[in-house]
Amino acid sequence: MLFQRIFTRALHSTRQLYAGSGGSGGLEKSALAALRKKTGYTFANCKKALEKHNNDVGLAEKWLHEQAQTLGWSKATKVADRATAQGLIGVLIRGNRGAMVELNCETDFVARNDTFKRFVDHVARMCLHYTDLTDFDGDLWKLGFDSDALRNLRTEEGRTLGDHLALLIGAIGENATIRRALCFKANNDLRLVGYAHPAPTNVGSTEGITQVGKYGAIVAYRSTHTLLDFEFHKSICQQIVGMKPTKIGEYDKDKPAENKDDETCLIHQEYLLDADKTVGEVLQEYNCEIVDYHRFECGEQTERSLEAIIRSQHQSSN
Amino acid sequence: MSGLLPKLWRQSEVGLVRRIRQSLIGPGASQSRWTGTRLLATSADKNPAPGLRELPHCNVGTIGHVDHGKTTLTAAITKIQSQKGLAEYLSYDQIDRAPEEKARGITINACHIGYSTTERTYAHTDCPGHADYIKNMISGASQMDGAILVVAATDGQMPQTREHLLLAKQVGIQRIIVFINKADLVDQEVLELVEIEMREMLSDFGFDGVNSPVICGSALLALRDDKSEFGVPSIEKLLEQCDSYIPTPQRDIVSPFILPIDNAFTVPGRGTVVVGTIKRGTIPRNADADLLGFNQNLKTSISDIQIFRKSVPQAQAGENVGALLRGIKISAVERGMLLCATGSEDISNHFEGSMYLLSRAEGGRVKPMLSKYIQQLFSQTWNVPARIDIVPSEAMLMPGEHGQVRVTLLRKMVMTPGQAFTIRENGATVATGMVTQRLRSLDLPKNKLSKVLVDC
Repeated sequence: MLFQRIFTRALHSTRQLYAGSGGSGGLEKSALAALRKKTGYTFANCKKALEKHNNDVGLAEKWLHEQAQTLGWSKATKVADRATAQGLIGVLIRGNRGAMVELNCETDFVARNDTFKRFVDHVARMCLHYTDLTDFDGDLWKLGFDSDALRNLRTEEGRTLGDHLALLIGAIGENATIRRALCFKANNDLRLVGYAHPAPTNVGSTEGITQVGKYGAIVAYRSTHTLLDFEFHKSICQQIVGMKPTKIGEYDKDKPAENKDDETCLIHQEYLLDADKTVGEVLQEYNCEIVDYHRFECGEQTERSLEAIIRSQHQSSN
Repeated sequence: MSGLLPKLWRQSEVGLVRRIRQSLIGPGASQSRWTGTRLLATSADKNPAPGLRELPHCNVGTIGHVDHGKTTLTAAITKIQSQKGLAEYLSYDQIDRAPEEKARGITINACHIGYSTTERTYAHTDCPGHADYIKNMISGASQMDGAILVVAATDGQMPQTREHLLLAKQVGIQRIIVFINKADLVDQEVLELVEIEMREMLSDFGFDGVNSPVICGSALLALRDDKSEFGVPSIEKLLEQCDSYIPTPQRDIVSPFILPIDNAFTVPGRGTVVVGTIKRGTIPRNADADLLGFNQNLKTSISDIQIFRKSVPQAQAGENVGALLRGIKISAVERGMLLCATGSEDISNHFEGSMYLLSRAEGGRVKPMLSKYIQQLFSQTWNVPARIDIVPSEAMLMPGEHGQVRVTLLRKMVMTPGQAFTIRENGATVATGMVTQRLRSLDLPKNKLSKVLVDC
């Protein structure tokens, strides 16, 4: 009894509850509080777990963890038809590989929550891991995933991303979906840069860190500069996020549009940071050639269907 | 003197003039002056029912997880108050208006509902997302004096409850009332634990976790007219707590006075009279004042104050007055200037604020906004060219996003924290914002905004 008392006390901070209640009722209550505090599962489930295991916190916790997956799935099924219009884009670049993912949820409160951001990071890392497993020796390799493919992606411990998603839905009580993902792998002299908007205020290098935001862009470029100018490459990503070009454009083929505000060719667009220049001029100044890019906007209608992206997955530039 | 009065009459609304005339003719003629000024201070048309005109007003909002019953609670409040003739009953479906939302059973659009208690009238705001509340705050659509945090007893707090409380902090809410919904589905000990958990959480976020009222009830039972503890009585208790815990916003009549100037004219033989509605404080006759704005800072004093036909010894916030200024030429006064107690405010050309960039669907820009953006800025009755810099300076604002900005004006003006402004471009409003802080004036090299060095 004494041991149990110390144990319980160490687990939770709401001491006033326990104080003065030596009876079993008080013990039960503090066990429930402790279990809830420790695991974060809903009160209803914590109570059920304790009832099942005769108020043994340890056993109840174990049972809750075992149940979480089933409970997550049942919650996920219950809320599956609710629309998910909010969410986050995650952009992760590591060396010559990059992944961009879109996850959706119901309210932007959840999108701002750390639990959700950690899950975006997890999915991006999974996609990147999958890219690692593929051998490819061309210049640029792209692979698109749709929602179903992502849900069936196996994680290291043998479960699928869908299982993880169900756990998340169980925790936040809102519908959530993994909508799409796009992986880049660049070889030879091609390099990758990624950007998510809005960017956090104190940015250093974003290498190996999942950036999250409402918009995302990954750019594959070729540059003769050996030194990487991070700010410049970020500004090109910003340009793509902000001005939404539909194609890169070729200098000799595409003519600038008459109204420069309607320009959809990246190289002919006004450079956002200096309206006197076009993006093409700035790129030449920096000796940089954009080979390919992709832009995600959270909740956007996909113009190009994902099948098209998957079909073009082996497309490689010269 | 005779010249001043007809002009003051012209300043006022026709409807108000008629009402004051009636009160002058009527039996209450002895107290007519103050009746008249009261009518000026509170605009009568905004109140829901004529009988409730004299009740103080309060703005509340509900925040909480989508499934925890915010909309049901709102419906229950209107139902219970409608039975007392204090509200119009709105069913869950009516509140949850848009068709695609009904299918999902959650609230999507911001909705404003009015009801009253015997103590006060309430405007109740319910928004689905963080961004909507922020938009509401920046555009000044409804400032919330307090919030009702709804949490289901079956679940307790959710991970995103943190974000709900952060939001409340961000929009300046100081008092929160917790409503533990679905209390009929759990037993007493769980209710106690949920209450403790919520109080701890409130304290963690800097709210008064100990004294915040926590009410257990069931919005669904109340909606079904159940008279048991968690039914109708719980809603009545909630409204009682709203009345007593959330303070009525007071007109500030203690701080140094501020009088934004709407108009100015000369009274032959007397001098210059400025007209406006006092925003803050009390103006006594003969007070020393500064006349500020458009790069000017003029010292003066107020030799006479008039509210409609009567010269008064002092005037309070909310009253529309004419003030006779000593030693000021009419040519020095411009609409948009501000009269304030000597030394209480200062002009500056640099301010910090939060700003919302209208989305394309709202008629805003298509392109994003970057620092060094220069356009006309409108606030109160004036407009000057202004430059916007986004914090941090290399950041970009997409249409539909909000962010922190630095405002640099071409001419030095007075802007007080909370003052709203809008930016217009080619005849359309593209951004709306709110000043949060006055910063030290910046040098304008060659009087050009584009040359200013803004450090942010």
